[in-house]
Amino acid sequence: MVTIDLSKLNITEANEKIRECGRNGQDVEVINPDAKHNIGVGLTDPINVTVKGSAGYFCGGLSHGATYNIEHNVGWAVGDNIYAGSCIVGGNAGAIAGVGLRGGEVVIRGNMGSRAGQIMKSGTLFCAGDAAFMAGYMMYGGRIIILGDAAEKVGQDMSSGEIFIGGKIESLGNDAEIVDMAPGDLESINEFLAKYGIEFNGTFTKVTNAGKKLRYGKQEPRHRPQPFFVHSKSSNYWNPKVQEDIWIKGEVGRYRIRGYGASKPVPHLNDIAFAKDVSHVKADPSAVEGVNLRTKVGGRWGAKPLDLSMPVMIAPMSFGALSKSVKLALARASRLSGISENTGEGGMMDEQREEADQLVLQMLSGRLGFSIQDIQRADAVEIYISQGAKPGLGGQLMAKKVTPEIAKIRGIPEGIDLRSPSRHPDVLGADDLVIKMDELREAMGHRVPLGIKMGAGRVKDDIKIAYKDGFDFVELDGLQGSTGAASTEVLENVGIPTLCAIQEAMDGLKEIDAKDDMDVVLMGGIKDGVDAIKMLALGADCISVGTAAIIAGGCIACMQCHVGTCPVGIATQDKGHESRYDIDRQAQNIHRFLESMRWQIAAITKALGYDDVHNVSREDLVALTPEAADITGLPYVPGHRDHARPDDNLSTLARKAG
Amino acid sequence: MCGIAGVMYKQKGAHEIGKSLISMLDGCQHRGPDSTGFALYGDKHEQLQLRFIIPTDEAGKAEAIKNIGTLLEKHDAKLVTEESIGCSYHIGVDFGGDLLAFTKDMEEHAKLVSVGHYLDIIKDDGTAHDVDDIYHVGNVKGTHAIGHVRLATESAVRPEAAHPFWATGFEDIAIVHNGQLTNYWKMRRRLERRGFAFHTDNDSELVAVYLADKLAQGNSLESALETAIDDMDGTFSFLVSTPTEIGYAKDHLAAKPMVLLENDDMIAIASEEVSINRLFPGQSVNSTEPAPGTFRTWSL
Repeated sequence: MVTIDLSKLNITEANEKIRECGRNGQDVEVINPDAKHNIGVGLTDPINVTVKGSAGYFCGGLSHGATYNIEHNVGWAVGDNIYAGSCIVGGNAGAIAGVGLRGGEVVIRGNMGSRAGQIMKSGTLFCAGDAAFMAGYMMYGGRIIILGDAAEKVGQDMSSGEIFIGGKIESLGNDAEIVDMAPGDLESINEFLAKYGIEFNGTFTKVTNAGKKLRYGKQEPRHRPQPFFVHSKSSNYWNPKVQEDIWIKGEVGRYRIRGYGASKPVPHLNDIAFAKDVSHVKADPSAVEGVNLRTKVGGRWGAKPLDLSMPVMIAPMSFGALSKSVKLALARASRLSGISENTGEGGMMDEQREEADQLVLQMLSGRLGFSIQDIQRADAVEIYISQGAKPGLGGQLMAKKVTPEIAKIRGIPEGIDLRSPSRHPDVLGADDLVIKMDELREAMGHRVPLGIKMGAGRVKDDIKIAYKDGFDFVELDGLQGSTGAASTEVLENVGIPTLCAIQEAMDGLKEIDAKDDMDVVLMGGIKDGVDAIKMLALGADCISVGTAAIIAGGCIACMQCHVGTCPVGIATQDKGHESRYDIDRQAQNIHRFLESMRWQIAAITKALGYDDVHNVSREDLVALTPEAADITGLPYVPGHRDHARPDDNLSTLARKAG
Repeated sequence: MCGIAGVMYKQKGAHEIGKSLISMLDGCQHRGPDSTGFALYGDKHEQLQLRFIIPTDEAGKAEAIKNIGTLLEKHDAKLVTEESIGCSYHIGVDFGGDLLAFTKDMEEHAKLVSVGHYLDIIKDDGTAHDVDDIYHVGNVKGTHAIGHVRLATESAVRPEAAHPFWATGFEDIAIVHNGQLTNYWKMRRRLERRGFAFHTDNDSELVAVYLADKLAQGNSLESALETAIDDMDGTFSFLVSTPTEIGYAKDHLAAKPMVLLENDDMIAIASEEVSINRLFPGQSVNSTEPAPGTFRTWSL
């Protein structure tokens, strides 16, 4: 038994020591814990950790296989996201005990706080006392046993799993119902109680999901591709697109769902031009050699930054929305071009990890397929707050794509219309976010960068919070970013344009005199290297491409991503459709597209008179429209329209050079 | 986006409220590194105590103090004690007139942050220890205190935007708040129509003004807290204090954490147990988490 004194070591030192004991197979006793946060986070060896007192938030969080005995109370989120092992609490637990539980057992001998077992997927959460409101909120599976009373809204929005309550139930949640105990339920509970030496002679009430809201009543009908906007000159108010929209709403009786991003016209990068005429750029194959494009992202606090061969990343897109084949093609193309790939929602695949040289792991609100093993093999971790296409909403994955394989990885029931939670269970403000960031950094051993991905909404406020909370990088996503499925109302009306997003971000950082140490990665409708360098000049440190990479890799932009029967095998989980996708060929296409971006970025950098892409600045840009000038504060120079986009010239040349 | 803490000793006397609160706020400083503030209750002062935020440059400071002097004369308030420290100007005055009219005028023309015979609100940018270094909060003794650490999100980092806020027009009442009121502008307009003025865009100021309005209408602190829970939309946990009481209110969603400890000697309330545990190093405390949508008050 090794004794660790938390009055002498800080939490990072203590956790390193606990992990070392884990590797040596030694049990640990933590003295003077004094309710400190993140005790024992990220331990992956099956040792016993005894906490002699109370622990704070995330005790035993993101661990795998260890046993924690906490003698007194715990704060929020005890046993966060564990896949195996147990956390036994002698006293009371704060809110969201057993949050995201994926296996193992969380045992609370006192009372537990609100939203216990939120988004849990399997394992057992036990409470000998009373549970505060919303026990089993949004649970996807597993079992909650409460010997005492349960407050309001038991099983609110649960989609599967079982809740057994020994005492009174104040009220049931949305789509939860009381059912008869099944044969074997009681025996299994008694076995569990006996294991922990708990006596109980009462009876139980069983609550499960009523199954009325797991799927949309009417599926989105198939329809012809939605054209992008048409200028009013050649269209009319009640144009065919508007009519179709109304007909379909009349049929399904709800908001519509589709893939891709906003299709309405908003000021964008075409409304910005270079101050200097760059149309003279010649097909100079040496352009790339002469210019430094290397970009490091996330080194703010000394973690090993992502080291990119150019200021471009692949945007986060999930295995789920996209087929495995596409994810592998993207991963390979990112490796060939020396940039990073991103898991998106739904976890990391082994093959993807092998293909990608640098891989960013996203942590989303539902923690679907999120594990300590993946955290430890990621090159960066990113907390997803929202997407530019649908700020304020979680991911949507329609039933057709929730196949047995996807359901298994994510730990959710098969064939539901998955609507991921809109917010994180343990991040309800900038203040909780700090503690969550510490938990992740403890789990990563402070080795790799921690970023935040946010859809553009109140960017000026949000980026200040991100900076003050200490993120290594921010991925900022504008309105024109695409998604696999979202309601059209949100797609078209909620986010703010990418151009506004980058400007607000820069203004916000300036207002708090931020040092230039938190990298800003901009995404949302970036089509090529010309767009990319304009964003860099406006202040981004790097950009991300999602839709452009997918189109390079075979997407035909029919915008029916949500249907699940993508004709080219991209946005589908149907094996037959996926078999149409040629990974080798498409990986090369995506790679060549990325190389064309490299050439464009380098050639323009050179034409603007620099030999390092990070030297471009606002001085190199002008606005072509009053709106773009107003948004960005760039000088309004409509006369520069002639050389707004040298891309006809450039893309021809890029093809030659590539 | 913040952390809150409060402590009340049940026996009257000179308890180490300053030291206790510094330690509790240091315990949750991770929740808000931008600014820190204290509302401290000691023995009754003979004079009415006022604390203002003033500029720190010499010229600005002199002008602000001169301006305050003119206002005092205008309202027949006689300056008895004065101290200029950090970004604040702390005075004791003999005043026997209409406090509401007096403070309203003062607030319009100066940054008045604390008013009372028992209360002193000390707040500034920086951590609990930074503020203590300048204002010697650790030397303050009394019966109870509430405090706050702030991470500025929507409003700027300025000492006057830090918590605690005093309840406009009412001496000796202070609040600290963790959360976000989503119906801020609607509530603000409602209170402005009732004649209240707002000096920051900070939603926490609204909590103070709201409570002041309720108390002005003759409600008890308890009933003001009860209606606050229903009237305010959003996520919040807040603490309020008067010369003889402290109380809390928590929203219906319990989205903002708060734990409390009551024993024979004291009541301690904080966003996180780690703060309360600072008062009992090496021991476990029997804290409880109040249920969503609840409020409670304690009296000396």
